[in-house]
Amino acid sequence: MAARLLIRSAVRAATTCRAAPVPALTRGMAAGGIPTDEEQATGMERIVMKAMKEGADPYSMMKPKEYAGSKADPHLVPSITNKRIVGCVCEEDNTAVVWFWLHDGEAQRCPSCGSHYKLVAHELPH
Amino acid sequence: MAHQAHAYHMVDPSPWPLTGAIAALLMTSGLAVWFHFHSTTLMILGTILLLLTMFQWWRDVVREGTFQGHHTPPVQKGLRYGMILFITSEVFFFLGFFWAFYHSSLAPTPELGGCWPPTGITTLDPFEVPLLNTAVLLASGVTVTWAHHSIMEGERKQAIQSLALTIALGFYFTFLQAMEYYEAPFTIADGVYGSTFFVATGFHGLHVIIGSMFLAVCLLRQIHFHFTSEHHFGFEAAAWYWHFVDVVWLFLYISIYWWGS
Repeated sequence: MAARLLIRSAVRAATTCRAAPVPALTRGMAAGGIPTDEEQATGMERIVMKAMKEGADPYSMMKPKEYAGSKADPHLVPSITNKRIVGCVCEEDNTAVVWFWLHDGEAQRCPSCGSHYKLVAHELPH
Repeated sequence: MAHQAHAYHMVDPSPWPLTGAIAALLMTSGLAVWFHFHSTTLMILGTILLLLTMFQWWRDVVREGTFQGHHTPPVQKGLRYGMILFITSEVFFFLGFFWAFYHSSLAPTPELGGCWPPTGITTLDPFEVPLLNTAVLLASGVTVTWAHHSIMEGERKQAIQSLALTIALGFYFTFLQAMEYYEAPFTIADGVYGSTFFVATGFHGLHVIIGSMFLAVCLLRQIHFHFTSEHHFGFEAAAWYWHFVDVVWLFLYISIYWWGS
């Protein structure tokens, strides 16, 4: 009995506030009253949001791009300094990873399989 | 702003893990002191410290996420995994009590009269207040889903109303259950029936209160514009927890109240 009364009043409460103005899909605050990330996101979250919208990946959240590894199409390795460690898994399922420092300048080759790697400067959105 | 080359959140040093650990120490040793020396001082001190720790730690999480923007997509993903793992651990916690119930009820010993419910136990009618409680929690599951969709669709007034209604239903459940506990014809000391009944439903009631508190914090945050239509993980975590509490009740109702009567 009490439950039925409660449910009925809940339904009434639900239907009365449907009389609100038509919600626009643009500015959340102007219409429904809940902000969007576009309006309110801040700090790192905002930087990442803006970068993802442009298709950029400054914080390397996505899988690295795939390259052939040849002289004409070397693996491009982004770095925030002038050198970065590379670990080459020469063939799929290899358990021994070949580690080496990749320096700025001419492309280097993996000492084991000979794939080409080239360091490229990576800008962080500070 | 950021001098990091990754999207994760390296948290600033914080005193709350230490105060939380101290609180746990004071509460547990305080419990022992209460048992042996009849003084609740240490335990109460520990509880106060625990409440202060929770308030300040979670206030810091809100500050880091909402006000400082540290909760990037990878960070949010980690928080989601964390909440799921925590709820999973709670599932196992309740599984233990269900195991205890079924252990005792499936093969009732001669001391109980070889039957379940045991001889002398007047069980509660599952189709009275327990059924109402089931309806109340199921309805609260609907209202919390309504609140979620309201947030996603940018409907502030509806979000606040449906979230408040969810909390009200939670309080109604707790009130009804408290009445049931007061009026019950058996106590926790009434053999294994009393033990399994009150420990299982008691811990469930505690989780309803915890869930209601979590939702209440979400209501305050929603009123203060913390949530956006895309990013409102605090609310989602509270809703997941609330659904978990609802599901546990359904199992309790079917097993203890209905089958066990």
